[in-house]
Amino acid sequence: MSTAPVIHVQRLQKSYDKVEAVKGIDFQVAQGEVFGLLGPNGAGKTSTIEILEGLRPRTGGEATVLGFDPDRQKQQLKDRIGVCLQATNLPAKIRVQEALELFGSFYTRSLSSEQLLKRLQLWEKRAAFYETLSGGQKQRLALALALVNDPQLLFLDEPTTGLDPQIRLEIHGLIEEMKSEKRTVVLTTHYIEEAERLCDRVAIIDEGKIVAMGTPRELQQKSAERSRIDIVTEQPMNGAALPQWPDALESRLAEGGRSLTVYSSRPARTLFEIMKWLDQQGMQLEDVHLKRPTLEDVFVELTGKKLRD
Amino acid sequence: MKQYLAIIAMDIKLALRLRAVIFFNYLFPLFFFFGFAKFLGRSQQLGGMVYVVNMSITFGVLGSGFFGAGIRAIQERELNILRRYKVTPITPAPLLVGSMVTGWIIFLPYIVLLLLMAHYLYQMPMPAHMLQLLVFISLGLIAFRSLGLVIASVANTMQEGTILVQLCYLPMVLLSGATVPEDTFHGVVKTIHNFMPATYLVKGMRSMMLDGQGLADKANLAAAGVMLLTILGGGLISMKLFRWEKEEKIRGRAKLWVLVVLLPFIVMGVWTWWRG
Repeated sequence: MSTAPVIHVQRLQKSYDKVEAVKGIDFQVAQGEVFGLLGPNGAGKTSTIEILEGLRPRTGGEATVLGFDPDRQKQQLKDRIGVCLQATNLPAKIRVQEALELFGSFYTRSLSSEQLLKRLQLWEKRAAFYETLSGGQKQRLALALALVNDPQLLFLDEPTTGLDPQIRLEIHGLIEEMKSEKRTVVLTTHYIEEAERLCDRVAIIDEGKIVAMGTPRELQQKSAERSRIDIVTEQPMNGAALPQWPDALESRLAEGGRSLTVYSSRPARTLFEIMKWLDQQGMQLEDVHLKRPTLEDVFVELTGKKLRD
Repeated sequence: MKQYLAIIAMDIKLALRLRAVIFFNYLFPLFFFFGFAKFLGRSQQLGGMVYVVNMSITFGVLGSGFFGAGIRAIQERELNILRRYKVTPITPAPLLVGSMVTGWIIFLPYIVLLLLMAHYLYQMPMPAHMLQLLVFISLGLIAFRSLGLVIASVANTMQEGTILVQLCYLPMVLLSGATVPEDTFHGVVKTIHNFMPATYLVKGMRSMMLDGQGLADKANLAAAGVMLLTILGGGLISMKLFRWEKEEKIRGRAKLWVLVVLLPFIVMGVWTWWRG
């Protein structure tokens, strides 16, 4: 199996007239990896992904996708990748199966439309006109079109934006299936939970630059943000003086002394000490909850703004 | 070839599912046919039913070209439909050729129907060279679809495209001799008439239907040649200026390419004017 990166990007730049959308970014994507570009609207995610898809020419830097230059070898590249655009539209009166067969004819190799429709749970809608589909069905069709040429590399640009939570979960399930098939996926999103759930590695992008990159866990651990430990006991802890636990930054009691909240930079160690203390005090534990810093906390810490600003 | 056939097959299905296509390709020209047949069908001065058939076909050809091909292409770009095609390996060629061929396949049966109705319902003599007439009309149909696609290539918005189409469509309807008889044109209007692309379509159809001329007639051969050049030139320019996305705007100077497509007709107009 080849270990060469599927995507190699170096000092990538993109300007629109006087606006610099991408300001020199570097990253690589390995085969079989789900790589996320996470950032707010206008960060440069879509510009980056569209350059890699061969949709836009780059202004500077280098990019190689599956060994092809997206600017100079567009047709060869497009025959091998699958793309789900941020906003897809098809003729209103095209039927679902017709759309798959039409787009399948554009590639040197394509999967059976029946197979794809059954897999994307669109078989019952195979004769329906595009204009009659719900938002979730349209997005599933968009994913089916991205898979029609059985690509090893998929680009998904904001695949769940604007969809209901239930539909988003369905789409996440489909993306996880692609992951299990060892397809390489590059995904752009501004949803934290999507990046945390689906991506092997994430590049946080803001104002055209990558501000952090790594696995979701690595990024969370880099954050100086505090982890939060919530403890609920059967008896109030009011009577016992709260000790200064190791690495605990702040401790608070609430709910009549039964609820303890502790902020810690090393939650595992602090939690262990808290459990020991509770046991020594003879307290019965009712509930324990540990919340680690999220990627949004990381983003706020690095950029000073929220992802949804 | 697979892409071309798939696009053509899909375009035909889509066209026949749209009420606007059924209306403008069939019902609208039929309305003119039956309406004007009643009042003008017996007018020997104008050429009787030949005049009515000529007018109906010209309406259909211009409508198919400017609205069927031109406006539709702009619409698909504005609705981001073409954008989805852009991420596939397909090039503009199958889409443009598909549009021209689809228009011909959809409209040709109507032309045959019209000629048969004129003959059997209104006793219009069948043209002496029926097949050559159909070839001539087919060239005109595809040439005007090619013009429509060039307009779509240079228009940046639907509004702009609609203005350009109307600037072409209305003068051609009025000044080609299809509706207002050619004999009434004098002076500047006559000169403009000689430069109208639709004029050569109208004249050629009339000579073939009324005078029994064939494609071998010099004037008809020249007109057919000009329409063929328009098809080739229009196709090449449409490919050169083709845009997949509404955000890609064309610069003002590039719109002058429309004149290049019209060049064969401009040459014909100059030649006709010079001959007096």
